[in-house]
Amino acid sequence: MVRKVTGARASTGRSEAPERRQHWLLAFLAALLVLAMLIASGMGAVPVPVRLLARSALGMSQLSADQSTILFSIRLPRIIAAVLVGSGLSVSGLLFQGLFRNPLADPYVIGSSGGAVLGASLGVFLVPAVSIAGFGTTALLAFAGAAGSIVLVYWLASVNGRTPVVALLLAGFAVSTMLSYSSYFLEVLDQDFGQGMHILSSWLHGTIAQPTWPQLAIVAGMLVIGLAGSVPLARRLNTLALGEEYATHLGISVQQTRVAVIVIGSVLTAAAVALGGLISFTGLIVPHILRMILGPDHVRLLPATALAGALFLLVADTAARTVIAPAELPVGVLTAFIGGPFFLYLLRKARREVMS
Amino acid sequence: MRPLLEFDHVGFGYAERNLFSDLNARIFSHDCIALVGRNGVGKTTLLRLAAGILAPDSGDVRLNHKELRSLKHREIARSIAFVPQNVEIPFSFTVEQFVEQGRTPFLKLFGGLNTADREAMERAMALTDTWSLRSRAFNELSGGERQRVKIALGLAQQPQLLLLDEPMQHLDIGRQFEMIDLIASLRHEGIAILASMHDLALIDGVFPSVWLLSQDEAMRQGSPQELLQPEVIESAFNFLPHHRSMLLERTRNRMELVQ
Repeated sequence: MVRKVTGARASTGRSEAPERRQHWLLAFLAALLVLAMLIASGMGAVPVPVRLLARSALGMSQLSADQSTILFSIRLPRIIAAVLVGSGLSVSGLLFQGLFRNPLADPYVIGSSGGAVLGASLGVFLVPAVSIAGFGTTALLAFAGAAGSIVLVYWLASVNGRTPVVALLLAGFAVSTMLSYSSYFLEVLDQDFGQGMHILSSWLHGTIAQPTWPQLAIVAGMLVIGLAGSVPLARRLNTLALGEEYATHLGISVQQTRVAVIVIGSVLTAAAVALGGLISFTGLIVPHILRMILGPDHVRLLPATALAGALFLLVADTAARTVIAPAELPVGVLTAFIGGPFFLYLLRKARREVMS
Repeated sequence: MRPLLEFDHVGFGYAERNLFSDLNARIFSHDCIALVGRNGVGKTTLLRLAAGILAPDSGDVRLNHKELRSLKHREIARSIAFVPQNVEIPFSFTVEQFVEQGRTPFLKLFGGLNTADREAMERAMALTDTWSLRSRAFNELSGGERQRVKIALGLAQQPQLLLLDEPMQHLDIGRQFEMIDLIASLRHEGIAILASMHDLALIDGVFPSVWLLSQDEAMRQGSPQELLQPEVIESAFNFLPHHRSMLLERTRNRMELVQ
């Protein structure tokens, strides 16, 4: 009858090699992230030696008053912001790629970027200089715009309580494109002769401004909620990959899962947009790179993506603020220039593994 | 003996056409049934009704005396596994990750796989002889391997009833015989099987019972000897008169080959 099962072992099961690989990768990424945060804290107009930072973190020596001011009110907030934004965008990208079964999906795929552009332009051109918990009008309106456009897209794509993913993708694309051109109309209202346009342009290319601690606390809270919510979704996204009907048969509530992914992905994206504007590429490539290393299992990918996204954006943002110092580049420009070539290199190296 | 699954006066149709008006049938725990009929007659639809994926327009489908429509998909999937004809996955999951999906109906919201889940997966892969494939990418498997892996996913559900949609499709003759062996060994495990089959020559000696669907008549149930007669097949499959000799020729040859 059935041929002898070759190589079957008693009960420990599961190929352990990838599992061990995952644990090593997580430990490696975490160590690298701590190291990068340390090095980034030392970099800037006033360099602080990394050895001094490490010793003071362990309570073995004291920073001078100046160093400590620079560190705690300027560098650390910026570093933490990069970590939060990178992590949020990457996990959001992972969730949307899983939901849409589409390698081109990114955090902005269902229209949030268009809404954010509209909100940010309104903020820049019409009502500057209001702030809530440290967030300026631009950030607040961008957040509202991103959330609003997602609700709009979801409503447009739903028919009779069902939301086909193709309809979501198309509605997202249309709404996003329409709204992102809104900035050209609002430009006419610019009273500062181009000043607003400059601010908007750097925002559109992704710039992590100098955040305050309350801002960071709010975004960190949203990230924690988003990550916790992603944990049960990761396994469901694996099952959803079998197709809607099969996933339903296996007991997954497809519609509920879809709504949950959209809500959580949008919370993560909107939080990232509020701190960093529209940062390109991160949410698209970080999940892909991890998928090439770990395979497509979302349960494994989730923690690794959260760490790697943080690391990636921290490196990019540190470069953005130091490469042409004292001026700054929008970090989105660097994510495209660092991420693009690296991604293309990996794509050629492991073409088959991206998605087949 | 009480039936595992029961179709009780089931009616079902799509917008354009009616498929079943009064379907009555029962599956018992050791049954091994081939579901045959011409293309488009509703074989896959019947399997979907049996899996609770579709709900009947009238009448009831009952699992152990409980109406399927009153049960959650999760509950049904612990007793009935539906193995679809085609599964397309956009990611390169390994065979093991694919088979793991069969444990979905047993997992808690935040829980992962426990020892019982892993044992069920290993058992399923051992039965289907797919253990050695476990690290391969599902999308890179051959047709025969893919078919066995799909069945492994179904077996990981630890079902009482396995619904197979065209398990022999796209298999070469050697792989067809492997599938026949697999079906026989699943019968030994005490799993009831209902499989839609388009190649009638592969039924004899493998499936003790046949359900024959035809367009305008009620479904017929019987042994292959009773139902796979040229006259019956001729009318159920709407032959033109001059095709009859071809049928006789072909069934004879294939039967000899199989025996």
